[in-house]
Parts: sequence; C-alpha cells; structure tokens
Amino acid sequence: MNAAGPNELRAEVFEKDLCIGCGACVSLCPYFKNYNGKTAMLFPCTQEEGRCFAYCPKVEVDLDAVSRNMYGEPYSMDPIGRYRSVMKSRAGKMVTRADFQAGGTVTALMTYALAANKIDAAVLTGRDGLLPIPAVVTEPNAVAGFASSKYTSAPTLAAFNQAVREGRRNLGLVLTPCQALALAQMRANPMKQKEFVDPVSFVAGLFCTWALDYRSLRDFLVEKTDIKKIQKFDIPPPPAGVMEVYTESGKIDIPIDEIRKRVPNSCDYCFDMTAEFTDVSVGVFEDSTAWNTLVIRTERGQAMVDGAVKDGYLEIGEMPEENLAHLKLAAGNKKKRALERGRGQGMVKTAKEGGRAAIRIDGDIAGMA
Amino acid sequence: MSYLFDEEKGARYLLMGNDAIVRGALEAGVSVASAYPGTPSSEIIENLSKASDKRNIYVEWSVNEKVALEVAFAASIAGLRSICAMKQNGVNVASDFLLHVALSGSRGGIVLVHCDDPGALSSINEGESRHFAKMIELPLLEPGDFQEALEMTRWAFELSEELGLLVMLRSVTRLSHASGNVRIGSLPGTDKTACFKYDAVPGDQASGPVVTMPVPPHHEALQRKLKKAVALFEKSPFNTYTGPEKPELLIVTCSACNLYSREAVRLLGAENRVGILKVGTTWPLPPDLIRKNLSRTDTILFVEEVLPFLEENVKILAAEMAKDIGVKTFHGKNDSTIPMTGEMTPDLVVDAIKRILKIDYAPMPETFRNKAREIAAKMAPVRDLTFCPGCPHRASFWNLHNALEIDNRRGFVCGDIGCYTLGLLPCGFSTSKTSHSMGSGIGIASGFGKLTRFGMDQPILAVCGDSTFFHAALPALVNAIHNKSDVIFVLLDNSGTAMTGFQPHPGTETDAMGGNVPPMDPAALCRSLGATVQYADPFDVDATQAILLRLMEEKGARVLIMQQMCALSPEKKGKKKYRVSVDQEKCIGDRCGCSRLCTRVFRCPGLVWDADKGAAVIDEVICAGCGVCASICPAGAIVREEAV
Ligand SMILES: Cc1cc2nc3c(=O)[nH]c(=O)nc-3n(C[C@H](O)[C@H](O)[C@H](O)COP(=O)(O)OP(=O)(O)OC[C@H]3O[C@@H](n4cnc5c(N)ncnc54)[C@H](O)[C@@H]3O)c2cc1C
Ligand code: SF4
Ligand code: SF4
Ligand code: SF4
Ligand code: SF4
Repeated sequence: MNAAGPNELRAEVFEKDLCIGCGACVSLCPYFKNYNGKTAMLFPCTQEEGRCFAYCPKVEVDLDAVSRNMYGEPYSMDPIGRYRSVMKSRAGKMVTRADFQAGGTVTALMTYALAANKIDAAVLTGRDGLLPIPAVVTEPNAVAGFASSKYTSAPTLAAFNQAVREGRRNLGLVLTPCQALALAQMRANPMKQKEFVDPVSFVAGLFCTWALDYRSLRDFLVEKTDIKKIQKFDIPPPPAGVMEVYTESGKIDIPIDEIRKRVPNSCDYCFDMTAEFTDVSVGVFEDSTAWNTLVIRTERGQAMVDGAVKDGYLEIGEMPEENLAHLKLAAGNKKKRALERGRGQGMVKTAKEGGRAAIRIDGDIAGMA
Repeated sequence: MSYLFDEEKGARYLLMGNDAIVRGALEAGVSVASAYPGTPSSEIIENLSKASDKRNIYVEWSVNEKVALEVAFAASIAGLRSICAMKQNGVNVASDFLLHVALSGSRGGIVLVHCDDPGALSSINEGESRHFAKMIELPLLEPGDFQEALEMTRWAFELSEELGLLVMLRSVTRLSHASGNVRIGSLPGTDKTACFKYDAVPGDQASGPVVTMPVPPHHEALQRKLKKAVALFEKSPFNTYTGPEKPELLIVTCSACNLYSREAVRLLGAENRVGILKVGTTWPLPPDLIRKNLSRTDTILFVEEVLPFLEENVKILAAEMAKDIGVKTFHGKNDSTIPMTGEMTPDLVVDAIKRILKIDYAPMPETFRNKAREIAAKMAPVRDLTFCPGCPHRASFWNLHNALEIDNRRGFVCGDIGCYTLGLLPCGFSTSKTSHSMGSGIGIASGFGKLTRFGMDQPILAVCGDSTFFHAALPALVNAIHNKSDVIFVLLDNSGTAMTGFQPHPGTETDAMGGNVPPMDPAALCRSLGATVQYADPFDVDATQAILLRLMEEKGARVLIMQQMCALSPEKKGKKKYRVSVDQEKCIGDRCGCSRLCTRVFRCPGLVWDADKGAAVIDEVICAGCGVCASICPAGAIVREEAV
C-alpha cells in the first residue's frame, strides 16, 4: 500500500538527511553504495517499487506489520519492546578473552552459534581505524576479533546482502536497532518475491542511544591522535560526561558535547534503544563493566542462550528489578523524545493517515509519545 | 594525379574549401606551415603535410595556436612564405602575439587562415574572429567561393609582402568543408633559402631587428600600411557586384553567405530587382567601392555570419558619406531581419528579401512543411551525442561519476576541450559541470581549490586530454601546484589528438611530416613540478574508482593519469580484446536488482535492449570488445572471453 521505489527513497531519506548508512539498500543492485559510513545513490533507477525502499528503516516502516511478522502480535507499547526475560550475562570460560566492549556476551553467543552449527556464518562488524567494516565470519575462533563497539554507524547489512547474493543461508547477525529494524522488514518479504527464503537464523541486537558520523569523528580525532592506533572506545555511564578513546599511548577523554555534535540527524528520530526486533538484545550492565544486560525476546533467542550456557560459552545471572526499571526509563525516554519529534514533523503516522511517513503505528500514538 | 602536385595550369578539380586554400598556398610557394588542430581548419595542415617532401615545406603541428603563429612568423622574417591555420577561438589564443606582429611587421608573405564555425557545428562557441582584424589592425580577406579560396590565398601572400604585414584569411565551416569546382594555377620552384637579417637600424622593415619599439613610429607605419591596403582593395577583383545597375535592394555580403544570397535571389526569381555586392576584402573596407555601390539604391540588406561586422563597418562609412549618397534604409542583424546567431541559410535570406520587397513566395505550403517536419521527426532515430563503443572516456567518466557520488560530498569535474567535453552530457553521466576554453578546466579548478577557506568542501577535479595538456593546461597546473590548490588533475591519456583526427602532439613520437621526434612524458613533467602522480587504467573500473576515492581524501594538487588507447586509434582499429556476450538467463534486465544498468545508464552503443526477451544483448558488429560492460553488470550476466 505504501510501497515505493528508489526515487522516493532519495527524496524521503537522503534529501531529508535521515539515512543512517545501515546498508540495507546496498548490494541489492548497482545503484546504492556505502562509503565512509554514508550511503549514496549513484544513478536514478526507474523501479516504481523496490527493495531499497521496502527495507529502509527510515521510511514507511509499519511497526505493527513488522511486529506481527516477528512476534505474531502488534507493536508493543513496552519501552524495551516484546521480550521473554531480562538478565545479566557475560562470556563463559569457553570463550577466548578479547577486547570485549563489556561482558563479551555478544562474542560468546556468536562463537557458540558457529561452534554448535546453529548458524553457518555470522555477519559482524570490525574496523579499520575508525571506519567500521562489516565482514562475514565462519570460524568460531574468528568472532573474538570483532569484539568491541564501533560507535560510528556501520553498513553491516550491505555485507549481509552480499552474502545472501552469494547464496549464503542460515546466517547470524549482530545489529544495532536501526539495522535490526531493516532486517526485520526484509524478512517479511515485502516485495513478495516467489523465490524468497528467510536466510536468517539468529539476530543479536545491540542497545544504542546514538551512533556517530564517521567522517566528522575522524576529522575531529585525527587532530588529536593517530586514528589507526585507536584500541577501544567507551562511553562510561553518567555523570562521566565523556567518551573515552584508548590508544597505544593512553586514554583521551572527549567531552560528550563534542561527541554529540557528531551524531547524525537520523538518530534524533530513532525510537528504539534496545533493538526490539531481534532474538536477543545486549547492552551494558549498569553496575559492572564485566557484565551485560541481556534481553531475551524469542524462542530462538532463548534456545541459543540456553545452549550457550549449557556448553560453557555464557554465564547468566539475575537482573535486579531496579536495573530493569532504570533500563525501561532510559529506553522509554528515548522513545518518547523520538516519537514526539517525529509526530510533530508529520513523520510518525497511523496506518490510515495519508502522505509519506517514516513510521506508522496504529493505536494511540499521541498517548504513547 | 593529386591536386597537390598537378603542374597543369587550368586543370579542374573538385576541391573542399580547405583543399583550395592548400593549393593556393602551394601555388604561392609556401615554405613553412604550422597549426594547432581544430575543426574546421585541420585539413589545411594535414594536406600540406602530404606535400611536405615534394614541395619542400616544413610542416608542424604546434603545441598551441600562439606558438604556431610564432613558428610561421619566424619563417616570414627569415624571408620565406608561411601559413598558419587555426579555428576561430585559436585566434584568441594567438591574439597577444598577433597584436605585436601587426606592429613589428613581417617580411616573407605570412597568411593566418582562421576558420570560423557559425552554428557551432564542431565547437562549444560561435566565436567571431573577424573583429581581431579591426582590433589589431590587419588586412582581412574572405573568399566567397571555392575558386576564390584558392586565388585569394595565393594573392594573400603577395599582399602580405607588398604591405610588410600579416594577412588574415577567414573561412567558415560551410566553405572549408563543402566542395566545389576549382581551376588550378601553376606551381613555382621549391628552392629557397632562409636568413634572418638584423644588421640595419631598428625600424628598417627589410633588414633591421624586428621589434615593436619605439611604439609610436611603428604604429604610424602600421596605419600607413593599412591605407595602402585600402588603395589596393579599391581595385581588388575579389569585390564584385552582380545585378541590375539600379536594383530595388542591394545585398552586401561576404564569405559563404555570398553563395546563400545568390541562391536566394535565384529561388525568388528576383535577379532584376536585387543586386549583390560581394566583398572579399572585408577589412579595411575600400570606401570608394562602398560609395559606388550604396549609391545604386536606398535599401540595403546585409547577409553575413556571425556578428554584424560588415554591417557595422559599412554603416560607419555610410554615415560619413551621407551628404553624397543620401540616407539609406539598412536591414540586417541589428534590425533582426537576419538572426544575430547561428548559421545562415538560403531560406533565411529568402525570408529576408521577401519581407523587404513584399514578395509572395512559399517554397512549400505551410501544412506540407509541418507534415514533412513531423514525419522526419518520427522516422529519424533519436541520436544523442555519445562516445564511440569501447571509448575509454565512457569508462573514465563512469569511474569519475561513481567515485564522486560514492564520495558523497558534492564533488564535481571541471571539463575541458576534446572528445571528453561530452562529459557534460548523459553519455558522460553529466559528470563535468564546467566547460570553457582549452586548458581552462584545470585553471578553474585551481581557483575552486583555494575556496576551502570559505567553507567549500567539495572535492574538485579537472579533466584534460593529452593534447590539451600541452596546449594550455600546463600553466594552469603550474598555478594549481604552486599555489597549493586542493585539486585532482585527471589526465585522460588516449595517445593522440583523437577529436580532430589523431594529429601528433608533443606527447607522441612522430611529427606532422612523419619524422621521429622525442615524446614528452606528461607524468614526468607533473612530477618535476612537484605533484604526486598516479596511473589508472579506466577499463579496470574497481581499481580506478578506488584510486579516485583515495585521492579525494588527500589534499594539495594530485595528478591521476587515466591511460587507455582511443577505440579508434590506428593501433587498435579492428582488434577486439574480448568476445563479449550476454547470458540472457542470468540477466536481471528491467527488474529490481538491475533496472537495465547497461542499456539505460552505461549505454555503450554495443549494448542493445531486447524487449521481447527482457534481456540485454551485445550487437557484435558495433561492440569494440573493450569488456568494460562485463565489469559493471550486477548479475555477472555479461561474459567476456579473451579474443584470440
Ligand atoms: C553505536 C553503538 C551505540 C551503543 N550504545 C549503547 C548504549 O547507549 N547503551 C548500552 O547499554 N549499550 C550500547 N551499545 C552496546 C554496547 O556498546 C556493547 O556493544 C554491548 O553491551 C555488547 O557488549 P559485548 O561485550 O557483549 O560486546 P562484544 O563481545 O565486544 O561484541 C561487540 C559486537 O558488536 C558488533 N558491533 C560493533 N560495532 C558495531 C556497529 N557499529 N554496528 C553493528 N555491530 C557492531 C561487533 O560485530 C561485535 O560482534 C552501543 C553499541 C554501539 C555499536
Ligand atoms: S528499486 Fe531495486 S534496482 Fe532500483 S535502486 Fe532499488 S533496489 Fe536497486
Ligand atoms: S536503507 Fe539504510 S543505508 Fe539505505 S537509505 Fe535507508 S538508512 Fe540509508
Ligand atoms: S547490466 Fe547485466 S543484468 Fe542488467 S540488464 Fe545489463 S546484462 Fe542484464
Ligand atoms: S564490450 Fe561492452 S562496453 Fe565494450 S564495446 Fe562491447 S558492448 Fe561496449
């Protein structure tokens, strides 16, 4: 009903500066390319309806439809989306220690998934200097090499599309919320392709409040340090108010205000903090950097966690009530801000409202936002 | 027997205007011929080069028009006859030197042939070069037909020697490139010696140093020479009048417009009402001739191309003579009887005469004309200007376009003059965003590259061919490098001056006469200027785009040489590197996933859309076998095999 093609994508997403560079429209065809974290359209395309538009998480996302396809239920009003349980977790003894961002839960789950043949390949995101570089990994031991967060937005789904084109199936992915939303749309086969088979077996989502623009961050940091030698980034919880950049010659603290300037416009409209359309979602754990917060959403996610725990890849623990409440508060705040902003600018609509929307949700949007 | 060598006076040949000029120069015993190629002038030097051995002529493709004129001038002041040819805007390039040549004077006959291109059939301007004659104070001749092209050229050398002044001879595309019957004259001997005499005092026209200082006496001498020219022009047989003693309308015309005017008068059957004054010596104008002819009638129509040169100069004389000849009614460009721009045609002249004389004449009924136009539009296939199949420029612009789009900072290309000017058009993916004179791409880019302080962060690229590089891009490149401008200079090296027919240039190993000369290496030149130089093969699209993207991240003046031989290059001709075909099973065609990238966007003429099969096919007759389309197909449906 609201399907459209690449020219609308250009008008609604690129020209409104809403593209986050997730890569969902890249590697489907020759027209979209991602470079330095930004996606560009090379030539006009004449399709009236296209996969690029259908997959993009920034235009005409029907949240109820996506949710029904995944959970069999309409979009949930819960600040952290639909879930089965929330706990704390960290990598178990079967996982080689690496530069985990926090507890290494993600590395642990993907390593286990490959080792136990739950997936054939994992789509992960590495980096060269500050530039995130997605890759497809088949060796369990290779997963740890991708540990740690790249805070610049990454075209991870371009690598996924490429892998699917090359005939890969039974894939596992680690995705930020916007990427996960795009993937959830893809999996609903919106273009009704006859030959479609869902190539995805497991999705681990990452919590995300915002990402950064690569070029802008690079040009800023290049003045301060050798960006090729950056080892890790971290954003300690408030009141730290800094982003920590670890280099060979020590740690640099960048004031959060400098960082904030480099957040793409698109993130201001993102309602999802906890990657609501995934099998599991992982974030930091408030009380200790050695642990993660783990949200289990699907049966598949539950099975993966159970298997990983059983085989010694993952350790889990109980999530204190207070932490969960905190998480919901933070996620709810992000959601409220984004939906209010989007609603005010005509970007958030109900299924019945006319014109183009970024997001459609049925029910009482005003009440929710 | 070739018209170049025939000794039989009076023999007839069907000659192009440019050939007639060549023959005229041979009959005048020209010893040195130089030029920078440019349509419609190129054949003059090309054909003289064929006579270089037998007629003992030094022929040179010079690096640019100014140097060409300097080379010809040296011959003149060494006592030889010389000719220099260029297209209209070439005169702009040569004009600084020309100004000084006028002042210093010359010795052996020297003729500058400049070919204008009304309607810009092969130019990106409609420059009018005649005004230089007036501005710089030089005599100007304009042949009115093919026979005159020969005779006037021959006479131009005598005139030049008689005046001690360079003579300009102006042709236009329709004269240079059309053919007519020409009766040839005899050829002189070929034995000549050159010596530059400088022993007398400066100002001694025959044997002193050749200088322009002191200026006042030189300028006065120049004025005396022009007066002498006027006297000679009064008696010139190249100014002719045909028509009744007292016509109702007098057409004043020159050059190819003479032919159109005759045709128009004939079509209208108005021979008894309209007279034609064809002026061959258009600057300085002979006043007595003008007075005599303006006295014939009170209604005058000027027919000329492009600007109202003759029109305005005759009007000045008419104002001065008004007391004697009375007040005239003038029609022409200034009152819009004749369009101010574009090519003239017999139809336009017919129209003008009809309106002035109120003649009822319809060459064809209006409805018939419209119908004919409609049918023609329907039948003729739409043919956009495009690059040849297998042309390296298509691949080069593909890479430039894609890299700029991928880079995503609104970067652009400053275009230049050559086949690759088409980079402006869809066949070049509309990648070039500026296009001006030769070498100005890098010049403009050099300026853009300094605007970073004003917040300009767009990547700036300039393209230029190898011949244009030597012509006028070098000083601009020096400027960019010296001033630390942030530009990428892309040299499109296709090993020849392809656009005008593969004339050699300083980068090639042969000269105009086929002799061996040392080729200049643009890369070495750029490096010696201090630029970093990289190479890319535009047919390797991925590698080339990667290099471009990397270069765009760097600062300062960067040089990229895209090397691939022109598809029409004599060395390449006929040989296909690859046999290319489309696996129609794999072809995604018009569906999401491709949307006909090859036939809709890339559009090499060798690729054809088979609508019935819903797949692309290769037209094997047209395909040049470059294999590039195989690298752009998203489905790997275009297959290439090494041809054996
Ligand atoms: C841009 C960004 C913002 C984040 N913001 C928050 C936040 O506000 N609150 C919070 O609790 N957590 C946030 N996280 C998640 C957090 O930083 C950790 O990634 C998460 O806690 C998992 O930790 P871990 O030790 O299990 O990860 P690891 O075991 O170190 O594994 C990290 C995994 O993340 C993947 N990855 C890294 N960067 C990217 C990227 N840019 N895009 C896609 N995949 C990537 C890699 O493939 C790797 O497998 C953010 C992550 C990112 C990438
Ligand atoms: S419609 Fe299909 S072919 Fe066209 S740009 Fe979108 S994904 Fe590519
Ligand atoms: S799909 Fe992703 S990369 Fe493509 S336009 Fe949308 S946000 Fe940008
Ligand atoms: S580019 Fe390839 S897939 Fe697309 S139409 Fe041409 S041959 Fe077919
Ligand atoms: S191989 Fe392809 S691009 Fe090259 S000439 Fe043939 S059809 Fe054109």
